[in-house]
Amino acid sequence: MNHLKEEELIEHYYSRGEGGDAAQEHLEQCARCAEAFKALEDDLSEFADVEPPARDAGYGERVWQAISGTLPAYEARKRSWLHINLWQGLSYAAACLLLVGVAFFAGRQWEHKQVQSAVKSQPPPVQQPVIPTQPRERVVVVVLSDHLDRSERLLVELKHADADSEETVSPLRDEARSLLAANRICRQDARKSDDPDLARALENLDRVLAKVANHPGRMDAADLTRLQEEMNADGLLFEVRVLRSRIPNRQGAKAARTEGGEI
Amino acid sequence: MVRMGQDDQAAIRAILAGDKEAYGALVARHASSLFRVAFRITGNEADADDVVQEAFLRGYRKLEGFESRSNFGTWIYRIAVRCALDRIGGKKVDESRRVAEAPDLEQDQVQVADAAAGPDRLLLSGEIGALQEAAMRSLTATERTAFVLRHLEDCTTGEIGAALGIGPNAAKQAVFRAVQKLRLRLAPLRVRI
Repeated sequence: MNHLKEEELIEHYYSRGEGGDAAQEHLEQCARCAEAFKALEDDLSEFADVEPPARDAGYGERVWQAISGTLPAYEARKRSWLHINLWQGLSYAAACLLLVGVAFFAGRQWEHKQVQSAVKSQPPPVQQPVIPTQPRERVVVVVLSDHLDRSERLLVELKHADADSEETVSPLRDEARSLLAANRICRQDARKSDDPDLARALENLDRVLAKVANHPGRMDAADLTRLQEEMNADGLLFEVRVLRSRIPNRQGAKAARTEGGEI
Repeated sequence: MVRMGQDDQAAIRAILAGDKEAYGALVARHASSLFRVAFRITGNEADADDVVQEAFLRGYRKLEGFESRSNFGTWIYRIAVRCALDRIGGKKVDESRRVAEAPDLEQDQVQVADAAAGPDRLLLSGEIGALQEAAMRSLTATERTAFVLRHLEDCTTGEIGAALGIGPNAAKQAVFRAVQKLRLRLAPLRVRI
């Protein structure tokens, strides 16, 4: 059996009556510890309360009179100002945080709803090809028209070019290189749109542009004459002019087909 | 008690609003209970009076920091305990010299009168009181205060810790040390009686 230590006896002495004390059970079974506890009780009972000297009803008043002269009055305004400002500041900060939070949440919700409504308002799948196709073809038509204009100008300048002048031939070569890339795109589009006349004319144009653009070194009079003959032989300039004049009609026909839903 | 708490809160609001005189009501209401604990800790009437005044002065200066949820009586009681602790702690140097110069335990045994002496009862009682007083003076300020609060004021170790600004375990240890020292000092008395 483990006997109670002095600390445990002291703890038990002061916590008696609080219940749940295992020390009490031990003391009832252990004579040695019970004897030690009795000695502790005897010792501590010697320190009985000495009744403090009585103080009459006027004691508090006398204490107040003794100290009141040294006490400064609180400054109500200063105190309340600090107090109110502190709480006001905290309240404003909390309100701002709440406002920012609500605004953020509302923004997220609004954005979410916008995306959902955009998805819902999309046209049905049947109509989908109509809308994107129409602008795409219009862009190609505009580019083709522009391309034919530039090509016509180039061919006219080439027709009247002077082979002895480098200042005339060199810009033509640069322009031909630029037109060559655009011509290939237009030619591919003509094939796709099943327009054999346009495709053939663009092929002829491509051949001339390639020769001008890729001609090595300085273009002499013989080269220039050969190109001019080829142009005339094929009637390329005339063909380009005819095609360019067809563009508005061709655009109108396409638009009519689009409205009819044939595309 | 609730009524008193409400009155205390109203008085505190008035004081903080600039009405200094309202503090007089708080002083009148709590002065006696502060004197009682101050006297038990200091063991001296004059010191207890000084402690009461000092406690109310400190309380007034700290009143802005008083939390309205707390009980003013408990709050000013703790301040009074700290004031009393400071007072007996300040005297500790002199007291420790007295304790060091006190007769040793063997000498104590010789000096205490025998209980069988019958006619010397009053003298014995006086000597016991003197020995108890000497034993109390042998304690440190914290031990003495902790013992008084536990033994005479029926405070819990948590309340003692709060009043002394230490943890409950430290308060419990202070009480243990105080009891051990007191028993050791009173051992000669027990042998002779």
